[in-house]
Amino acid sequence: MYSDLLNALPEVFGLANFLAVIIGVIAGIVVGAMPGLSATMAISVLVPFTFGLEPLVALGLMAGIYNGAMYGGAIPAVLLRIPGTPAAVATTFDGYPMAQRGEGGFALQVAVVSSSIGGIASAFALMLLAPPLSKVTLLFGPAEVFWVAVFGLASIIFLLGGSPVKGLISACFGVFVSVIGSDPIFGSDRFTFNQLELLDGISIVILLVGLYALPPVIDLLETPLKTGVSEDKLGTEPIWKALPRMKGFWKTWIRGSLIGIWIGILPGAGGSMAAFMSYNEARRASKHPERWGEGEPEGVAAAETANNADTASALIPALTLGIPGTAVAAVMLGGLLVHGLQPGPMLFRDNPDVVFGFMWQFLFGAILLVLLGGSLATNSFARLLNLPRPLLGSIIIVLMLIGVYSIHGRMFDVYLMLGFGAVGWVMDKLKFPLPPVVLGLILGAFAEENLRLALRIGRGDWGVLFRNTTSLVLVALTIAVIVGPGLKKRILDARKARTAD
Amino acid sequence: MLKLIQKGALAGAMILAAGAALAEYPEKPIEVVVGYSAGGGTDVMARTAAPFIEKYLGGGASLVVKNVPGASGQIGVTEVAGAKPDGYTIGTFNLPGMMARTIDREAGYDRDSFTYLANVVNDPNVIVTSKDSGLDTMEKLIAAAKADPGAITVGMSSLGGDDHFALIKLEGLTETEFTIVPFKGSAPARTALMGGHVAMGILNISEVASFQDELNLLGVATEERSDFAPDLPTFREQGIDLINGSMRGFVAPAGLPEDVVAKLDGAFEQMAGDPEFLKAMADTANPVEVVTGDDFKQLTSDLYDLANKVWQETPWN
Repeated sequence: MYSDLLNALPEVFGLANFLAVIIGVIAGIVVGAMPGLSATMAISVLVPFTFGLEPLVALGLMAGIYNGAMYGGAIPAVLLRIPGTPAAVATTFDGYPMAQRGEGGFALQVAVVSSSIGGIASAFALMLLAPPLSKVTLLFGPAEVFWVAVFGLASIIFLLGGSPVKGLISACFGVFVSVIGSDPIFGSDRFTFNQLELLDGISIVILLVGLYALPPVIDLLETPLKTGVSEDKLGTEPIWKALPRMKGFWKTWIRGSLIGIWIGILPGAGGSMAAFMSYNEARRASKHPERWGEGEPEGVAAAETANNADTASALIPALTLGIPGTAVAAVMLGGLLVHGLQPGPMLFRDNPDVVFGFMWQFLFGAILLVLLGGSLATNSFARLLNLPRPLLGSIIIVLMLIGVYSIHGRMFDVYLMLGFGAVGWVMDKLKFPLPPVVLGLILGAFAEENLRLALRIGRGDWGVLFRNTTSLVLVALTIAVIVGPGLKKRILDARKARTAD
Repeated sequence: MLKLIQKGALAGAMILAAGAALAEYPEKPIEVVVGYSAGGGTDVMARTAAPFIEKYLGGGASLVVKNVPGASGQIGVTEVAGAKPDGYTIGTFNLPGMMARTIDREAGYDRDSFTYLANVVNDPNVIVTSKDSGLDTMEKLIAAAKADPGAITVGMSSLGGDDHFALIKLEGLTETEFTIVPFKGSAPARTALMGGHVAMGILNISEVASFQDELNLLGVATEERSDFAPDLPTFREQGIDLINGSMRGFVAPAGLPEDVVAKLDGAFEQMAGDPEFLKAMADTANPVEVVTGDDFKQLTSDLYDLANKVWQETPWN
């Protein structure tokens, strides 16, 4: 099984394929560094443009962007205390105070090295875990897949943080969008209003571009951000000179990597949660927790390791079960499907070169991060923050329109995307979370189709849903996710009340 | 004077028009509308066939494949039905799906909307069972289905497709009853079979030929054994007269000029005998069975009648 892994390697070093990763990483850092623009946005805008490319070129670009963006978010987080991506929030805690002390350059170097280590660990986890797990997926029939979808929906609603009610509303909107189109069993039309274009349902890419790209662009145009970055805050030195100062971080790196990988595999939770958890655990383990928040480099290391360590591992459920756990994984899955890669046990048998090549690209993307984002480039990336924002916004809008139009070559999709953009903008303003919409669309369709197939297999008997261990484990996990946070809060409150007495 | 110019212009126009009519078809690129996205079975067939059609049309003919995916090929085929019948728009056509769609929903075309050029691929149905089911012969399968009608679950790629019609035929021939589990496409159906979540499956030979270790293959719905699995007996050999398959071919809008039809049919017939073409199709797991012109039209008509009969008796939605 792992020999295919090595066989895929030569292809990865093909000029175009390797160049794609390099360009992807640089583009990812740039996008990540722009506050408001996320990896999800960048990849969803990109996917339609990759239709005509060779699979490994397209996937290399995506892998590079994903890795790059997760680090790029640290640049404004450190220099301006504005997280470039949601996952970089925890990076501001210690990164910004460091920059205030004139150690911004060192903070960014810690960030890039940690990001790279997290990414490498994650790529290895993907390589080692996905192939054996894909065999286990044969255990997942319609009943089990239904429960995985329910579990995923429950986690995204209850674990995302913020208000579960708003999460639920967002998810319901996504699930509603998923029923538009042909009935999965009978093929009859639902909510299509005799539009031939709606018969296939709403393409995830159209929804993603609308929801994820339009609101931040409008934001970008709305708020003129002062982005003056003065050189003196950077205090740069070559990265090899900075490395010895990081040698005490290895425990934090390992811890952050493991947390990131685990959170990545779980559906629902994403990079920001991994970063927070890693940061908290690292502070708890620290000998001098009082220095945290005042500019402790290890805090930057903890956050940045974890938010890169969930990148590749988030693809494990996507590649094996076809069920993406996060919005980014959903876009990447869309990209894989476009290139004819069907997730599941057959993926590794039918297309080993592409799949394993893609995993290698993740690894090299993570390694390239140090080289490209490391020594000299950090300075230039910091200057990116001074780019005129209206210019940037208009470029992105043009790319969105062309990209969405090129999927099927019809204006209908463009209008649909703009409609979703308007909805997304309103939701954003009202602080409704967007990821549940995306996962609602994907997992809602999964849940419906598989529930109905399972009931057909059980000849109408609902007991078929609880007939084996896999199903029961998933049911238990779902219940834990729903009642867990409330229970934890109650216990903590009770303990607080007792100590208050 | 003015009249003279008018007459001259008219004569000139007529000469030009006559010239155009006399010019050899095709004098510009022919668009091939494929109702599925690039890389699927139908798309592969169109792209494999295109260079051979170009070769046999001769005179520097060129075919341009255009993918118009969506709604199981319906959007593309509707576009072909409504195109100008001049021979410069042809499209791919799938049976029995394209006909079933005219029965189970309102389609923008019917069986008289097309000039039938050639069917190229006939991918026969195969009955498979999961290894855990223990049903490793047709005899055991039929006996089990008779013992408890509806107890055997049958995974297939969709309702109203060739798999579905094969099962209906089987039920009629053997007086049995099965429970249909229509997955979204054949790959998930096959995976569910490998995991033992459904007992039996009806798929096409190109989809299971390389899975003989993971699944029990019980028989193929052809008159003669298939080259893709020469050891697999036909149903006829096993006493069940079941012939069925998924067909893919080419159509043009109805009302195509006679000479253009003749030219295209000729090209398809020559292609059918080209060993290079046959090898290219075998390499992409496409069983070739070329049927041209009126025979293809008759085939479509027969399948329409079958689908209609099934729909009257057991509508699937």
